[in-house]
This record gives sequence, C-alpha cells and structure tokens, in this order.
Amino acid sequence: MNCEEAIKLMNGYLDGELDPITNQAIEKHLCECHNCDQAYKTQRSLISAIGNAAPYYKVPAGLRERIRSSLREETEGEPMRNGVPGAQVMFHKRDPETRSMLSEIPWNWLGLAAAIILAAIIAFNVLPRAQRGGPDQFLATQLIASHVRSLMANHLTDVASSDQHTVKPWLDAKLDFAPAVVDLSEKGFPLIGGRLDYLDNRPVAALIYQRRKHFINLFVWPAGSDAAEATKAMTRQGYQLFHWIDSDFNYWAVSDINEKELQEFKQLFEEQIPRH
Amino acid sequence: MLDPQDRIRFEQLVLPHLNSAANLARWMLRNRDDSDDVVQEATLRAYRFFGQFHGGDARAWLLQIVRNTCYTWLGKNRPSELMTEFDEEVHQRPAANPEILATQSDERQQLMRALESLSPRFREVLVLRELEGCSYKEIGEITGIPIGTVMSTLSRARERLRQVLIGANGAAAKGVS
Ligand SMILES: [Zn+2]
Repeated sequence: MNCEEAIKLMNGYLDGELDPITNQAIEKHLCECHNCDQAYKTQRSLISAIGNAAPYYKVPAGLRERIRSSLREETEGEPMRNGVPGAQVMFHKRDPETRSMLSEIPWNWLGLAAAIILAAIIAFNVLPRAQRGGPDQFLATQLIASHVRSLMANHLTDVASSDQHTVKPWLDAKLDFAPAVVDLSEKGFPLIGGRLDYLDNRPVAALIYQRRKHFINLFVWPAGSDAAEATKAMTRQGYQLFHWIDSDFNYWAVSDINEKELQEFKQLFEEQIPRH
Repeated sequence: MLDPQDRIRFEQLVLPHLNSAANLARWMLRNRDDSDDVVQEATLRAYRFFGQFHGGDARAWLLQIVRNTCYTWLGKNRPSELMTEFDEEVHQRPAANPEILATQSDERQQLMRALESLSPRFREVLVLRELEGCSYKEIGEITGIPIGTVMSTLSRARERLRQVLIGANGAAAKGVS
C-alpha cells in the first residue's frame, strides 16, 4: 500500500469499517511511514475531540411526556383529548419554565482534554501536503501546533516568571539538557516563563517571551550531529518561524509578530547568551 | 389505526431512541424550539408508519424519519440552508444566549460553532458518526447516501470541519493583540 491509498482509506480504518486484509495493509503502512502515521494520529484526535467535546442534546423531559400523550391520543380505543385524536398536539404551548439553558447543554467536562487537542490539530495540515513538504514543513506544523495550543489552552507557561534565575533551574530539573535562558525585558522582549513541551516525541524546552501583546514561543533542544543547517525564516499558516542553531542547541522561534522583529529577537537573544 | 398493543411495542422499541432523535434534530435545526416540534412530529409520523417496520434497527429507522422530517421542515422554513453546496458553510446564526456561551470554554464553543456552520449534509454524517456512533451501513440507511460513498462523505466532512477550525483559530490566535 502506498501513501495515497493509505490516506484515502484512513477514515474507514479509523471508523473500523475496513475488511481485515485492508486493515492489516494500512497498519503495516502506518508502522513504516512516519508521515501517514502522524496524519492518522491527528485525524484520530480530531475524531475523539468531536465525540467528546461536542454537546449531545437529550430529549427534554417535557417533550418526552408530550410525545407519550400524543401517542395515546393516536391510538384506537384509548381516551382522546378534546375529542380530537392526535394532530393538534403539534401546536403545544411551549413551557418556559423548562427553558433553562444551563441544564440543556450537557457538556461533557471530561472532554475538555480532548477539546484542547483540537488546538493542536487546527494548525496541523494533515494530508498529502505535509508529505510533499519534507521534514522542515512537518516540523513547522508541529511547532505551530504547539504554539497555538499554548495560547489557546491558557497553558502558556509551566513556570511563570520573568526571572531567568527561576526559569532556568526549573527547566534544567525537568530536562536532560540545560538550555540558556536570558531575559530581554530591557530590549522590549520580556521573559514570561518556561514550559516543557514535546516535539517529535522528545521533550523540549519552550521559553516564552512577549512582544507588546504578542507572544513568542522559543523551542530549544540539543543540536544533533547533523547540525550544519543555516539560519532560516519561514511563514506558515500565518505564523512566522525563525530557525537557527548554535554550537549546542537547535532554536525555533514561533510567533505572529513579523519577520523583522523575530529576527531582531534572535539577534538580541544570541547577544545575551553567556559564552563558554 | 394502531391499537394499544402496537403502542406498547412502539414504546418499547422506538421510544428508547428519543435522545438520538432529539440530538440529530437539534444539530440539524440548530434551535431547540424548532427541533422539539420536529421530533414530536417525526415520532408521531413514525408511529403512524409503525406497521411498516418489520424489525431490525429501530434507531436507524426512527432517525431516518427524523432526518427526513428535518429536511422537509428546512425546505419549508429555511430553504436557503438547503441550497448550500457541500463545501460551503451555512450562514452563521447569532449565538443563542451570550451569558451561557461565555461560560463555555473557547474550544468547545469553537467546535460547536464549527459544526453548526457546516452544510446540513456534512453536519448530519458527523453527528451520526461521531455523536451517535452509527456504522456506515446505518448512516447509509438514515441519510440515503449510498454505502460506498459514506466513507468519502465522512472524510470530506471531517476535512471541512478541520478547515473551519483552522480558520477560526488562525483568527483567534492572531487576535491576541
Ligand atoms: Zn505513507
């Protein structure tokens, strides 16, 4: 099975509607193909988010009663109301006292977690485009998803502090690497805090900076052995991404501020980093 | 005319699915008063046709009648909503009750709005699958969509929903300033 077929059958697979042989072929492909597997997981999250977070409207008690009594009126040999069977109950008087909106919307609060996943999905363009774009495109969508999720879920920081001496030890304790943390308040990019995040199944540090009313997520993780890439800027889905590498770390800054400001941010950040 | 025995059988077989009926109608009409009326009318209609129900999937049978009653009602009262093409969004209706909406979390509200904004044909398959857990076969029975195209309709509906969510959130995330 190739990617195109896998994507085409993905919904049937998720819904458990494929025959066992096709099912196996998809499963095999998902094991072997990272992109399709990601697409699968994202689609699965979307589906469970709808199921968990969308309201389910039950029949109001008053309506159930009205229906029962109208059935009796329709039935031969049972007492009628007003001597007329059935039909006129359609024009019932609505009962305002049962109109409590609060009790009517049965939010499933356990679904909140699923709803939050939505925030990640929205920024993630699942289907074949992601496959054509190569690893950067794929990483970019994940970065944007994390950025949007941090804003949407009101979970910008795990440790909220403008003090780098608070944020850094917190991150160091949680991670197996020690990212540099600098405060850029005086340069117009105050530090807001830090957060532990996951990208590509690995823990990464997220440093959060503010620029006026906008936020910057700066994702940091150790640079791999193949760290020869140059600095690059890109715009995806309306967000600005800026990537650079120093001797120790990979950096990805994500924000909705413009490219020039994000570049300025990068320069200030690099200038402030303690050299060793 | 049905007799009391039929009524008891109907109450045992069909009425347990009133919640499903109410949920589908409410999502299709996006308004409680209208959906209450339609659920009552559809149930009564189901009762009158109960003689034609020869066992099998009572929920799918009831939902098919509810669904058709919804379309008839929309055709009569809000024909423009039926004109929307698959990929278009129906016109947003103003939020029912601002106080209540304010108490709901953003994500839920966005999801609800996004679902409500889909065309009726996309909305119905999503409600049936995601909220009612209907099989493709049942969805085919209820909506009249050929079973072979239920999967592709669902994937288009999900993709459309995702697009609407992306749009809403692109705007929301930028609205920070
Ligand atoms: Zn693939």
